[in-house]
Amino acid sequence: MPTSSRDTAVYRSRRSRLVGLAYLAPALLFVLVFTAWPLAQMGWMSLHSWSLLTPPRFIGLANYRRAFADDQFWVSFVFTLKYTVIITPVLIVGGYLLALLVSRPSRLRRFTRTCVFLPVVIGLGVSSLLWYWLFSSEFGLVNKALQDLGVISDPVLWLGVDGNRSMLAIIASVVWKVIGFGMILFVGAIQAIPAEITEASLVDGASWWQRVTRVILPLTLRTVLLVTLVSVIGSLLAFDQFYIMTAGQPQNETATSVFYVYLNSFPYLRLGYGAALSLILALTILAFTVVQLLLTRRSHA
Amino acid sequence: MSATVELRRIPAVAARRRPRAGRGRYLMGAVCVAIATVMLLPLAASMLASVKPTAEAAASPPTYLPHSLSLDSYQRLWTYQQGLPTYLLNSLGTALLAIAFTLLLTVPAAYALARFPIPGREVLFVFLLLALIVPYQALLTPMFLMFARVGLTNTLVGLAILHTAIQLPFSLYILRNSFSAIPRELEEAAITDGASSWQVLLRICVPSAVPAIVTVALFAFIMSWNEFLGALVLMSKGASFTLPLILAAARTETSLGGTDWGMLQAGITISIIPCVLVYLLLQRYYVSGLMTGAVK
Amino acid sequence: MRSRLRWPVLLAAAALLLAACSQGSDKPSTAAQAPAATTGCASSGELAMWERSGGNKQMVDMLVAAWNQKNPNCKIKLTYIPHTEMVGKIAQGIASGEVPDLMGMDLIYAPQFEDAQQLVDLTDRISAWPELKTASKGHMTVATYKDRLYGVPLYADVSALFYNKDLFKKAGLDPNKPPTSLAELRAYADKITALGGGIKGYYLPGNCAGCNIFTVGPLMWASGAKIEATGPGDEPLVGDGVKQVLQFTRDMVSSGNVPEGARSENGETFHLQFGSGKVGMMGTGNFNITLARQQNPKMDFGIALLPGMQPNTSASFIGGDLVVVPKGSKRVDDAVNFMKFLLSDEVQVEVYAKALNLTTRTDMVDNKYFQAEPLVQDVAKALTVGRTPYTLTFFEQINSPQGPWLKMLQRAYYSDDNLDTVIADAKTAMKAIANQ
Repeated sequence: MPTSSRDTAVYRSRRSRLVGLAYLAPALLFVLVFTAWPLAQMGWMSLHSWSLLTPPRFIGLANYRRAFADDQFWVSFVFTLKYTVIITPVLIVGGYLLALLVSRPSRLRRFTRTCVFLPVVIGLGVSSLLWYWLFSSEFGLVNKALQDLGVISDPVLWLGVDGNRSMLAIIASVVWKVIGFGMILFVGAIQAIPAEITEASLVDGASWWQRVTRVILPLTLRTVLLVTLVSVIGSLLAFDQFYIMTAGQPQNETATSVFYVYLNSFPYLRLGYGAALSLILALTILAFTVVQLLLTRRSHA
Repeated sequence: MSATVELRRIPAVAARRRPRAGRGRYLMGAVCVAIATVMLLPLAASMLASVKPTAEAAASPPTYLPHSLSLDSYQRLWTYQQGLPTYLLNSLGTALLAIAFTLLLTVPAAYALARFPIPGREVLFVFLLLALIVPYQALLTPMFLMFARVGLTNTLVGLAILHTAIQLPFSLYILRNSFSAIPRELEEAAITDGASSWQVLLRICVPSAVPAIVTVALFAFIMSWNEFLGALVLMSKGASFTLPLILAAARTETSLGGTDWGMLQAGITISIIPCVLVYLLLQRYYVSGLMTGAVK
Repeated sequence: MRSRLRWPVLLAAAALLLAACSQGSDKPSTAAQAPAATTGCASSGELAMWERSGGNKQMVDMLVAAWNQKNPNCKIKLTYIPHTEMVGKIAQGIASGEVPDLMGMDLIYAPQFEDAQQLVDLTDRISAWPELKTASKGHMTVATYKDRLYGVPLYADVSALFYNKDLFKKAGLDPNKPPTSLAELRAYADKITALGGGIKGYYLPGNCAGCNIFTVGPLMWASGAKIEATGPGDEPLVGDGVKQVLQFTRDMVSSGNVPEGARSENGETFHLQFGSGKVGMMGTGNFNITLARQQNPKMDFGIALLPGMQPNTSASFIGGDLVVVPKGSKRVDDAVNFMKFLLSDEVQVEVYAKALNLTTRTDMVDNKYFQAEPLVQDVAKALTVGRTPYTLTFFEQINSPQGPWLKMLQRAYYSDDNLDTVIADAKTAMKAIANQ
C-alpha cells in the first residue's frame, strides 16, 4: 500500500508539512554545515594544488588526470577491490551460517551469539592493535601457538613483508571483529519468518539444506542484500586496520584507496590530490550502491 | 506483520518443536562452544598480557599465562604524560556529548521522515545519508580549518560534533525504520484525544522505539570512544587528547620508537572494558534494536 | 526542544565572538627590539611545546625538566605528537594559526618548513652567539636556509658501527681491531656467523626506511656517493658507491649473515637488536650504548666508524631534533632563551653529558662524564665525519615507508633484480618527487 494513504488525517494537513520540516530542520542544518559544506570545500580543493604551507593554486582537473595516470592509485584501487571481493563472501556466508546456528532458542546458543557479537562493540582501532600484537612475529601468540602445535617450525612474518599474507592476516582480524554484526541482522531476519512456514517445510520432510535454500534464504534475501551492501561499502572504505597493522607495507601493496587518500592529505601535504582521490572513490561507491539498490528493488517480488 | 510481533511468537512455537536427534545436538553444542572460545580468546589473551610484569610482557617468545601478576603496565599507563584519568575523561566526555547531539538531531528528524508528508522526503533522506559513502579522512582538513576559525579545536564539543557528523546517517537510518514500524493506531488515538505532534513524539513514539534509541546511543558511544584520526587532527594540546591517541603513542613509546607491549595491552584492556560492560548490560535493547531497525 | 538544540550553534557563535575579540594583540618583536637572550624567562606564563614521539624522549624530558626547575615562572608544557603525524599536524597548526610557542622537530624536515617560510627567522637574534660556532654541523646545516638561521640543536644522534667484542674473540678476531672497510666487514661477518647457534655477523633492518638512511646511508657516503635530491632539478643517487654498497648488502643477506627476522624490522625493535648479544656487528646510534648496557650488562662491545668501500673511509649520519619557532608563535623571546639554555655550558655537561647523550657542541665533548666513558668518546668521533641530508622532500624521498629509498633497498636485499635497474628506478622516482 502506498504510504501516503496510510498517513493519519492529522499528518496529512498542509500545516503538518511545515511542522515536519521543523522537526527535520536541525538535522538538515547540521548536515549542511558539517558534511555538505566540507564536501563542497573538498570539491573546491580537488581543483587546486595546496600544501597548507603555501597558498592554494588553481590547476583545474589536473589532479584527476594525475590520478588516472598514477600507478599507486590503481595499485590501491585494485588491492581494495581484491580485499573486498575476498572478505565479503566470508562475512556473508560465515555470518549467515552462524545465524542459522544461533537463531534457535537455547541458552548455549544465546551465549554463543553474545560471544560472537562481542568483538563488534570494541572498536576497529583497538581490535587492529590487538591483532597487530597477536600477529607480531616475535612477540605475538599466533606464531607461538602455531609453533607449539607443530604447524610451523620458524616464526612466520605475518605483517608487512608479503602483501598477500598481510592481507590474509588483516582479513582474519576483521572477520573476527565484524562477523557478529551481519550475524545479528541475519538472526533477526530468520526469526522474523512466520513459524508456520518452517513448520510446514519440516512436516513435508525437507532436509536441512533444502529448508535453508528453498525457504529461509529466499525469505531473508532482502537482509542479505542489505548486509552485503553495508559490508562492501565498509570494505571499500577500509582504513583503520591497514593504517595500524601494516601502514600500507610492503611497498604500498597493502595501501587501500582510503589509506592513499590519507597519505596524500596528511604526511605528503598534497591536499588537492587527496581530495580528488576521495571524490573519485565516493563516486565509485555511489555507482556501486545504486546498482545494488536497483538489484534489491527487483528482488522485492 | 512487523518483526516485533513475530519475535514474540517464537518461544511458544519452539516448545512444540521436535527435539533434535541426541548426537546432532551435542555436535552443535560443541561447535557453539568452539566458536565462543575462538571469539573470546584474543580478548582474554590481551587482558592476561596486561597483568604481566614488564619484562615478561616484553619477552620474546611470549608466554600464554602470566608467571606472576603485576600492575606495572597499568601503573605506567596511569601516569603516562598527562595521566590516564585526563584521557579517560576526555574520551568519556566526547562520547556522551556525541550521544546527546546524535539523539537530539536524529530523533526528531526520524520522526519527521517517518510520519510527515514532507515534500521530497525520500530525496532528503538520501541526502542525509550522504556521509556514508565519503571517506571522512579527507573531510577532516576542511573541517579542522572551519573549527579553528570558530575556536572549536582542542575542545570536546568540537570533536563530538565531528563524531556526530560521522554517525548521523547510520543513526537516522535505524531510527527512521524503527519509527516507521510503530503501529499507527497508538498515535491516531492520541491525536484524536488532542495531543500535539510533540507530545505524540515524546509520549508514544519514543517509548516504543526505546530499543532502537538505545542501539543508536550505544553505536554512537562505541564509535566516539574508539575514534582516532579525527581526534588526532582536532587536538593539539596533550590535555585534550583522547584514549585512542594515547594507544597510538604507546606503540612508539619506549625511547626511540620501541613498543611498550605491556602498556599497550593495558590500554587495550581499558579501552575494551567500558564497551563490553555497556553492551552486556543493555544487550536486550541493543540486539532487538538492530533487528527492528535494520530488518524491515 | 528547539532552544536546546540551538546551544551548540550558540556556543560556536560565542566562540567566534571571543576569537574575534582576542585577535590583534600580536606584537612581533623585531631584531632591534629583541632583548638580549638569557637562560631565564622573557615573560611569564606557560610555554606550549610540541615534540615528536619516537625520538629520544628521555633526553627531551630531562631538558624540559631542567628548564622548568630553573624557570618556574615560564614552565614548558610538553605535548608529544605521534611522529608519523608530525608533519601534517605542524602544517595544520600553521594554516589555522594554532601553533605551539616552540617545537622540537626531526631535523631533516627543517628545510621543507624553512622553504615554505613557516619558521621564524632567528638570524639577527642568534647568529652572533659564540656557542653556535661549535654546535653540531649537521644540525646547523639544516637549520640554515638561504643563509638565514631558524633553529638550534635539541639533541643529537649519530650512527656508528657497534661490534660485539665477545663474539669477535670467539671467532678469532682481534677485539681491538674493528673493520675499516666493507670488505673487512664482510670477512669478519662470515667468521662470526660461522659460530652458529643463532648468531649472525651483521644486521640489516628490512622494513624501516629511517633505520637504513641512518646506518646504510653512511656506507654510501663513505664510498663517495651522494643520495638525496636537494631540490627540483637535482640528481639523486650519484656515484659508484651506491651500486657497490647495494651489492655489498645483497651479498650479506644472501650469504646468511643477517638474521631472518630482520626482514620485518620496521624500526620498533631496532634498538633492541644489538643488545641481544646475537649480532656481531651492526650500524646503530649512540643511544644504543645505554640501552645495550641495560639489556645485556655483561656484554663487552666497542664502537667504530661506519666504513666505506675503500679502507679507512668513514661517514656517519647526524640525526636528532632541532628546536624551532613556528610562525605565529607569541613567545619568540622565551623560545630563544630556551635555545640559549640548551647551548649553555652547564646544560651541555650536567644534562646531556651526564645522561651519556651526545653534547650538541663539539667543544664540550671533553668533559668529566665522557672521560669516564671511552665508548661515548668513540661515538662522539662520528660527529666529525658526519653529515645530515639536505632536501625539501626528505619524507617522501627517503623516510616514507612507501618511498623509493626503502623500495630500492628491499629490492637490493631480497630480490635478484638487476641493480642498475633498481638504482635507475629509484632515481626516477626520487627526481619526480623533488621536482614537484
